[in-house]
Amino acid sequence: MTTIPSNLWSIPLIVAIPLLAAIVVNALYDKRAIRYISIISALLTLGISIISPYGYHWFTGHPAFDPTTFTFTFDPGIPGFRLSLEFFFGPMQQIMIVISSLILVFCVIMATSGLTKHQGPYLAMIFLLFASAAIIIMVNDLYHLWIAVEIGSLIVVGVVVGSGTSISHKAALKYAYFSAICGSGLAIALALLLGITGFPNVSDVVRVINIFGVGGMETILYISFGFFILSWMYAGGLAPLHPLKSEVYGASYPHATAVLQAQSKLMLVAIGIIMLRIFGTLPFVKEVMIFLSIITMMLGVVIALLQIDFRWIIAYLIISHSGLVTLGIALGTKEGIIGGIFQAVNDIIYMSVLLFCCEALYYFGGATSTRGSFGIAKKSPWLCAAVLLGAFAASGIPPFNGFQSEIILIQASINAGFPEIAVIILMVSVTTLIALLRAIYRIFLKPPENEVAANAQIPKSITIGTWLFIILTIIIGVYPDIALRFIVPFVEGGFLP
Amino acid sequence: MTSISTSYEKLKKFLDEFISGNGYTNIMTGYITGELQFLIFIIVLAALFRMFSFPLAIIMLILVTALALYFTPTIIGVEKENSNDLNRVLYWFLIYFAIIIAITLWGG
Repeated sequence: MTTIPSNLWSIPLIVAIPLLAAIVVNALYDKRAIRYISIISALLTLGISIISPYGYHWFTGHPAFDPTTFTFTFDPGIPGFRLSLEFFFGPMQQIMIVISSLILVFCVIMATSGLTKHQGPYLAMIFLLFASAAIIIMVNDLYHLWIAVEIGSLIVVGVVVGSGTSISHKAALKYAYFSAICGSGLAIALALLLGITGFPNVSDVVRVINIFGVGGMETILYISFGFFILSWMYAGGLAPLHPLKSEVYGASYPHATAVLQAQSKLMLVAIGIIMLRIFGTLPFVKEVMIFLSIITMMLGVVIALLQIDFRWIIAYLIISHSGLVTLGIALGTKEGIIGGIFQAVNDIIYMSVLLFCCEALYYFGGATSTRGSFGIAKKSPWLCAAVLLGAFAASGIPPFNGFQSEIILIQASINAGFPEIAVIILMVSVTTLIALLRAIYRIFLKPPENEVAANAQIPKSITIGTWLFIILTIIIGVYPDIALRFIVPFVEGGFLP
Repeated sequence: MTSISTSYEKLKKFLDEFISGNGYTNIMTGYITGELQFLIFIIVLAALFRMFSFPLAIIMLILVTALALYFTPTIIGVEKENSNDLNRVLYWFLIYFAIIIAITLWGG
């Protein structure tokens, strides 16, 4: 990978455009211009993330100093400390941000066509949510990591409150309560790391630990890991915080949940990789991460079977599939990490398909309960086809994208010597299909027992968004290299040059 | 200790009471599938303890199987513990944190 020893122009824009858009739309409050400004901002962010070259942006301090050329450099061959607070935009960051900004585009369009009032503050929260996700996937220093996690958590609360129901207010309050605990926990973890190593840059921290060791302060490092993992649980909704996170997903508008789940996956990948880089060589660290992932996968999918609302079924499945993402990272092998990141990308895509279908059900009078049967398939066969294809993708059925990442995870588990984990992954896939088909049969396929809106007009943005993401699931499913060529170099290159 | 057939009866009785009238609804299928899946999940999870030591895995396997059969239908307990009440989440949060710190500090 080519290192660029200068600040990259595009990184500030990926973060600053959503931030500026948030300020402007919030100020405009209810004006019609909000729609156009939001869509243009989201498209600009998408465009910049597509065309941006790879490289760094540092805010303070400086990169490593090359004594032979008297210049600053990010070259890993130069044995110098970086001392910089920095963001890195590489191929893995690119694919994650591109997919997330694509979801942002459709989320903004759906929000502006579906919501009738108070659009400005709500969209501002959505933009801030995206900005926090973009920061966290690019971050390579402890200060920005804490800020991104903390702000990201608070913005989640804002987005959920924006959904405006009493359930969402309760969900937001509970989530905010744990934000105080886990945010402080992460701050303690980072302070301990800073105290042991003396460096805020993650690459420098890893270098100090690997070269000099921690001088008998392993206990402090373990306590730091314990607090670090709390923030991982919290940010991604891993067990035992999954009831709160699933409540957040279920209580938000489905288009907002699409951005929320993308942000969660980005956080899981980013924090997981940083944990692996810093603590990966310590005994029992990977084992703890593996067990946490498996428990999350199990509980998420089992509880999804008990739900009686399509939104909540999807909410728990998002939690369960977050466990798949973290499992790959927790395995710690190159194959596992590739599978974990690939699963995150795929998960964001196929869950968005299901969430957009769920959004469409709002136009049939909110027919998401599985207690009734609505016969939606007859009224909207294309919507039924879309939700079925989304369910197949989520269940890892070929030729959809879920199959490709799950097969990598299964192979990684077997190669790492854990065939039991491969069995659990298979069971999660099968149970996902059962949970989804149960709801799809009741809502879409069963002859109607309950009345729904006869002439529901589903906005074109939902239809286009749903089918675009279905096409993506098939393209990645048939030709996985289209996504893997972004992920493999990042993992094989040792995460950061 | 209870046998598989009586476990099924217990689960069915609970659901019949839970859903007055017809117990054979889609909710019933969800609960029964959830119960079976959960049992298999925890048995496989117990077997995974072999990554620490084989005797521990065998003990865990026997313990988990016995407890699962004794407390069946477990899905009711799982659903109850899955509550989003702050006190319950906080309780499990502290338990997890304590276990993680204990394992890493003592184990490492």
